Amino acid sequence: MRGKGFGFIAPLLVVMVVAFDAPIVYMLGLAFWHKGQGPTLEHYQALFEAPVYLRVLGNTMRISLIATIANVAIGYPLAHWMRGLSGRGRTIAIALVVLPFWVSILVRTYAWIVVLGNGGLVNRFLQWTGLTDAPVSFLYNELGVTIGMANVLLPFLVLPLFAAMIRIDDRLMQAAASLGASPRTIFWKIYFPLTVPALAAGALLVFILCLGFYVTPAILGGGRVPMISNLLDTLINQIPRWEQASAISTILLVVTLLIFGAYRRLDRKATA
Amino acid sequence: MMTSSPWTRRLLATIGVFALVFLTVPIVIVVPMSFSSAKSLTFPPPGFSMRWYETLFGNPRWMEAMTTSAILAVISSILALLLGGLAAYGLRRGAFKGNDWAESNFMAPLIVPAIIVAIALYLGLAKIGLLGTFFGLVMAHTILNVPLVMMVLGVAIRSFDLRIEQVAWSLGASWSYTVRKVVLPNLAPSVFAAWIFAFIGSFDEVIVTSFVAGKYDTVPKKMFNELILEVNPTITAVATLLIGLTVLALAAVAVILHRAGRLKPTIV
Repeated sequence: MRGKGFGFIAPLLVVMVVAFDAPIVYMLGLAFWHKGQGPTLEHYQALFEAPVYLRVLGNTMRISLIATIANVAIGYPLAHWMRGLSGRGRTIAIALVVLPFWVSILVRTYAWIVVLGNGGLVNRFLQWTGLTDAPVSFLYNELGVTIGMANVLLPFLVLPLFAAMIRIDDRLMQAAASLGASPRTIFWKIYFPLTVPALAAGALLVFILCLGFYVTPAILGGGRVPMISNLLDTLINQIPRWEQASAISTILLVVTLLIFGAYRRLDRKATA
Repeated sequence: MMTSSPWTRRLLATIGVFALVFLTVPIVIVVPMSFSSAKSLTFPPPGFSMRWYETLFGNPRWMEAMTTSAILAVISSILALLLGGLAAYGLRRGAFKGNDWAESNFMAPLIVPAIIVAIALYLGLAKIGLLGTFFGLVMAHTILNVPLVMMVLGVAIRSFDLRIEQVAWSLGASWSYTVRKVVLPNLAPSVFAAWIFAFIGSFDEVIVTSFVAGKYDTVPKKMFNELILEVNPTITAVATLLIGLTVLALAAVAVILHRAGRLKPTIV
């Protein structure tokens, strides 16, 4: 690792190795090590023998999948609609997507307590329209957590998808139209296939972020919707079982990196 | 453009507007609530008052958390800017083995779930006895913000014409002199944007901080801990201040980059 310009990256390299790589390697070590005895897989064995871990894992997968699907269902039409806007309308729409992206996740999660609570906006609206008599409970269950996560992660899907959509040349669709294709055919045969790599990349990114989500399930789940991150918090801060936490973290890390590898390939395709 | 039926277009616009409302509702709701005179969280607020701001600014523990957050954000964002900026330049302009590997390593804190970074740093810092120290906290925030800096500056450096630097070199300027006198003045707007993003990144960080901060309270950490316990309207005032900070910061970035004609690549 020597050559022109290496001096510029050396300081950061040292800091990263000491403050990031070494702790991660140490964590991996804990997951595969029995104190005083050497390498072991016993921490993983313990994981698969305890139903609670498997349940939390299943929970996390299900919630992440639903939140990702909701994101695609809302995000794709939004990005497509924004592509059709022009001038000031488009600028405002972009600003309204970018601003939440940068506002603290805590703030955005917290507001849902007010919106979704028993006396909250949504429930009062539902009762006012007569759709329900009693308040629907959105908070402290999976529904609330899913809504909160879909909300927080939506910009991660919409921004790259929108960027990919505006790169599509309008003349492609015009050519199809001049050859007599119907709007529906143009959309499904030409436009949609061109957006699939960016859509898939965005969905994978959202899914990865969901898997490791901590703040939103903790606040909107009220301890009743345990996801992997909250389980890890318990294993580190409440009942110290560091080896167990390391083992779970390692699984989460490997899954994340595998999905991220797929994301990178799709993202290259989308931006090529 | 596809000339779809008016029905389809209307449906699309409805979903689009709904999605924008869904995205912004949390922000739109919190601000008026922070000026509410009610003791509980009700929307719309029954009357106007500044009581939650008075409670907030009268609480020494919140004040301390704000000071800690500000100091931490200033130090770690400057460190991230220095380290990340140098590295971004070295990666774009240098040619050495392991270039890609180094870049992936520097961007990793953005991809590895924050909870894993939190646990690894917790275990690592505990091992060397730095858990709960301010130094450990600064290091954690620095590595978390390096990817933001590198993303912004990487794009800026790539779009800066290499030949301008080559002219400086050919006239006998050293690398460091070229960076200081040629590159930096030209990239100043992007450097500022990168610093702002790193500052916000640090000021809003909650997960890693909660794990490694020990007795130190930052604004997000204190907010998170209070939210878990009870719903306290003082939080609406904190949240409004955080939203205000973000809006100001983004506006500053937008103005500066717009003037420099470089708005697009950085925001998305």
